[in-house]
Amino acid sequence: MGDVTLDHVTKRYADVTAVDDMNLDIEDGEFVTLVGPSGCGKSSTLETIAGLTKPTEGTITIADRDVTNLPPKDRGIAMVFQNIALFPHMNVYDNMSFGLRLRDFSKEVIDQRVHDAAEILQIEGLLEREPSELSGGQRQRVAIGRAIVREPEVFLMDEPLANLDAKLRVHMRTELQRLHKELDTTIIYVTHDQAEAMTMSDRIAVIDGGQLQQIAPPLVCYNEPANLFVAGFIGSPSMNFVEGEVTAAGLTTENFDVAFDPGQLPGVAPGDHLTMGVRPEDVYLSEQGRELANPSQPIPARTDVLEPMGDEIFVYLLTGDAMDAGMGTDPDEGQNQLLMSVDPYSDIESDRDVEIVLDRERVHLFDTQTGKAVSHTLEFAAADADPTETEAGGDD
Amino acid sequence: MVLSHVFGRARSLATAPANWTEQLNEEQFAYVLLVPTFILIGAMAFWPLWDTFQMSLHADNLYGGGFVGEFIGLENYVKLLTGQRDAVLGNSFFSVEEPFRSAITVTLIYTVVSVFLETLIGFGQALVLDQDFRGRRWVRVAILIPWAVPIAIQGLIFFLIFQPGIGFGTEVMQNLGIFSSTPLINSFDSTVIIIFADVWKTSAFMALLILAGLQSIDRNLYRVADVSGATLWQRFKLITLPLVLPALLVAMLFRTIQAMRVFGVIETVSSCSVVPSLTCMVVGTFQSGRFATAAAVAFITAAIVGAVATIYIVKFADLEGGR
Amino acid sequence: MSAASPVEDEEDGGLLQRWTRKAIADPRSVYQALFYVVTLFFLITTLFPFYWLLVLALTPLDAIVNMGLLPKGFNVYAFVEVFERLPFHIYMFNSIVIALTTTVIVLIFGSLAGYAFGRLQFRGKSVLLIALLAVSYFPPAAFILPLFQLFTGNITILAVPGAGAIQSPNWFNTPGAMVTPFSALFLPLTIFILTTFYSQIPDGLEEAARVEGTTRIGALFRVIVPLSAPGVATAGVLTFIGVYNEFFISFLMTDGQAQNWAPIVWGILNYQGQYQAFYNLMAAASILGVLPVVILVVVAQERIVSGLTAGALKE
Repeated sequence: MGDVTLDHVTKRYADVTAVDDMNLDIEDGEFVTLVGPSGCGKSSTLETIAGLTKPTEGTITIADRDVTNLPPKDRGIAMVFQNIALFPHMNVYDNMSFGLRLRDFSKEVIDQRVHDAAEILQIEGLLEREPSELSGGQRQRVAIGRAIVREPEVFLMDEPLANLDAKLRVHMRTELQRLHKELDTTIIYVTHDQAEAMTMSDRIAVIDGGQLQQIAPPLVCYNEPANLFVAGFIGSPSMNFVEGEVTAAGLTTENFDVAFDPGQLPGVAPGDHLTMGVRPEDVYLSEQGRELANPSQPIPARTDVLEPMGDEIFVYLLTGDAMDAGMGTDPDEGQNQLLMSVDPYSDIESDRDVEIVLDRERVHLFDTQTGKAVSHTLEFAAADADPTETEAGGDD
Repeated sequence: MVLSHVFGRARSLATAPANWTEQLNEEQFAYVLLVPTFILIGAMAFWPLWDTFQMSLHADNLYGGGFVGEFIGLENYVKLLTGQRDAVLGNSFFSVEEPFRSAITVTLIYTVVSVFLETLIGFGQALVLDQDFRGRRWVRVAILIPWAVPIAIQGLIFFLIFQPGIGFGTEVMQNLGIFSSTPLINSFDSTVIIIFADVWKTSAFMALLILAGLQSIDRNLYRVADVSGATLWQRFKLITLPLVLPALLVAMLFRTIQAMRVFGVIETVSSCSVVPSLTCMVVGTFQSGRFATAAAVAFITAAIVGAVATIYIVKFADLEGGR
Repeated sequence: MSAASPVEDEEDGGLLQRWTRKAIADPRSVYQALFYVVTLFFLITTLFPFYWLLVLALTPLDAIVNMGLLPKGFNVYAFVEVFERLPFHIYMFNSIVIALTTTVIVLIFGSLAGYAFGRLQFRGKSVLLIALLAVSYFPPAAFILPLFQLFTGNITILAVPGAGAIQSPNWFNTPGAMVTPFSALFLPLTIFILTTFYSQIPDGLEEAARVEGTTRIGALFRVIVPLSAPGVATAGVLTFIGVYNEFFISFLMTDGQAQNWAPIVWGILNYQGQYQAFYNLMAAASILGVLPVVILVVVAQERIVSGLTAGALKE
């Protein structure tokens, strides 16, 4: 029914390619989020699905119908916009019934559907109000209501929560998930907020530079990012990246080595340039790292800035030369800096010399040149690891 | 039933073209939307301009069939500008000796004097309207009303004020030693009256456009001036005037273009034979069947308007570029 | 009161002195006074001519000699006589019909063009905008000759060899001969105003309307035009007043008979010409002729000012 297919869709403007050979296969009833930084082409992709712009190349199919050349009104879609886009010259009821009235539905049907939708969204009391009299959250509900009453095959949502304050945004996330369960309709959702994408979607499509980087369930994107971009974009704070060169014993970076057997990785040979990626939660202080099955060699580091978040503490670590240079180092440099997350009861302080270890089971390797993922673990290289240690770690 | 059927048909007829335009891309759609406008303006403005220009290159044809005679190139323009057509025109076309009785000079004098006065008065009115005070709404209405008065009525008002034996205007001006006893058939006197009439009616237009400029000035700038101890005059000279200058120039450009086409108020206050403006000459020759001469005068008028407008636009570009 | 006043008089030494002292202490009050004087001056100069018309209209005809500032009598009948001597109401009706029709055409065409210029990207945009601006440079005199020939049926629009030719319509003495050129000449101003207003409507609203089920043209008239109401009103009022006040084409496109759609210009000119001595009627006719636009200005003045401030000059 409400499945959507993009087949080699490209959208070129005078001097930019907003969407570059996009292929998407979205199943009926699925909640798919298009996520990426601003200007990545996610909104352009949504606009081509909506029919608000025509793709330069490629075909779009909605519910088994080729809609590439159909205007938006004939595509069986409804859309919720970032700026909410309620018509200021109509009250809530007229806003919600706008599309039905255009399609000559009978008065009774319109009334029924508007009230049903208002009930689901708990805005029955607002039907006679003007949009200017509503709060931000209420407006958003009305905009969603305007989409629901149409009973479309596909919902398109373009950053619908971006203009709400943080608390309301989190609340509306759960509401949208509830709504999706209730309506069981395909939802294609665009956001730049990876947390929103992670929490709500069945699958996430990560887009950058107009190109699809990866489409997969949220945890797959998190645990097995297809490339450097996805790895850096999904997850907050972002993954640590350190460039290095493959040697016979593993990866040698400017400040430390990580051991693994390159022979186990097909296509990787000593001399290759790889980028190692490790998430902050997979960096440990040496003493805590003892519990790990496969810790890396201890790496000397100096703590720099601490960011206590309440449920965890983010620790900025300086390695190598930066340890001596201290706080003045350019944080964007990255190569000499690592971010570590520790539990909130740690008695860690800034400007201390410490030793850290990485969880080698969760270290990612990417081809520095192409950005493509080479491996999502170094566990295969656990030849020198002691199995008893693994058990000890498990007991704890 | 029948009625709703008819309405349904009418509606689908109306929406059919709208549905068709959905297939167009942005550029094609834009051109389709512009078609009505450019057909209309093409037929009512571009084509007539071109046709007028061609007519002006032919001889007058007073007796035979057809509007104009044989092709004579620029002869009409040459004869007009050298005064060889003055006998036909009734007044001279260009003469420095009798500036109020020759078309180009009287039109320019009228334009310069009235635009100058309107700018001063319009600026004053705009400054008043820019203030917040009780009753502003009604003062604004009062100042705007003359601008909405039809030209024919504007002319009639000043005709009645200066009609000797009726209005008091002539007597006042005579006592001041400015007017003759029959101002409405005296070229100088009539020109002055027509300038009065124009200033009365169109200062408000000037005021409107200047007001638009004034209201776009950031009020914080005035606060800065107050804090630094500027007097009201310094405030005006250093903030208001420079910031409102672009709007002022646009307003003056519009007014100048309009003033150079003056005709209606002359026809109602006095007569085209007394104050022979350029447009008067077009109408006079047109009504006596000299279409080619009329066309040539019209194009000379357009050329002069274009030249004056260009001066403004160059000045304006200077101003914008200098920022 | 009376007990206190001598003391005050002694202390202040008269009104003028007191005012001077205050003025020196606070120069703002001088500016304040100056402001009121200037405002009063503007009020008197703009309104006096209307008062003068009233003085003339109310004075019986035989008493109109060397008029001063007060009416010599109170002859309201002049306002009735205006309609008896000439069908002045028909001239007014003609003018209003012509102005309204022109306004409607200008707003529809101008909305389509304003949408294209304000919201769409296309090649040749600035060239076309400049072409529109250029139209306003030319005096009506430069258009009138061909238009006159066109509307008197003297232009061959389409010549088919052997089968004859289609002549332009003979519209002289009909509204078409005025409405058509007026529409063209007043369109550029309206397009400039509407372009600015339409370009300010958020894209999302138009997109929402299209997703909900309108065509692009449907979204224009259902969403963009209603939301640009102030701009549309400004453009409409300016066009109406402009056409109602127009002299040149109105003067030349009819023979001046009320039944031949002659507009108010001719009503006034006929009073000035045929009824030369009836100064009270001329004045009464002028007052009546001004009424429609005065009402419009009173009602719409806020719109005109804010519309021009918000739109026209921001280009």
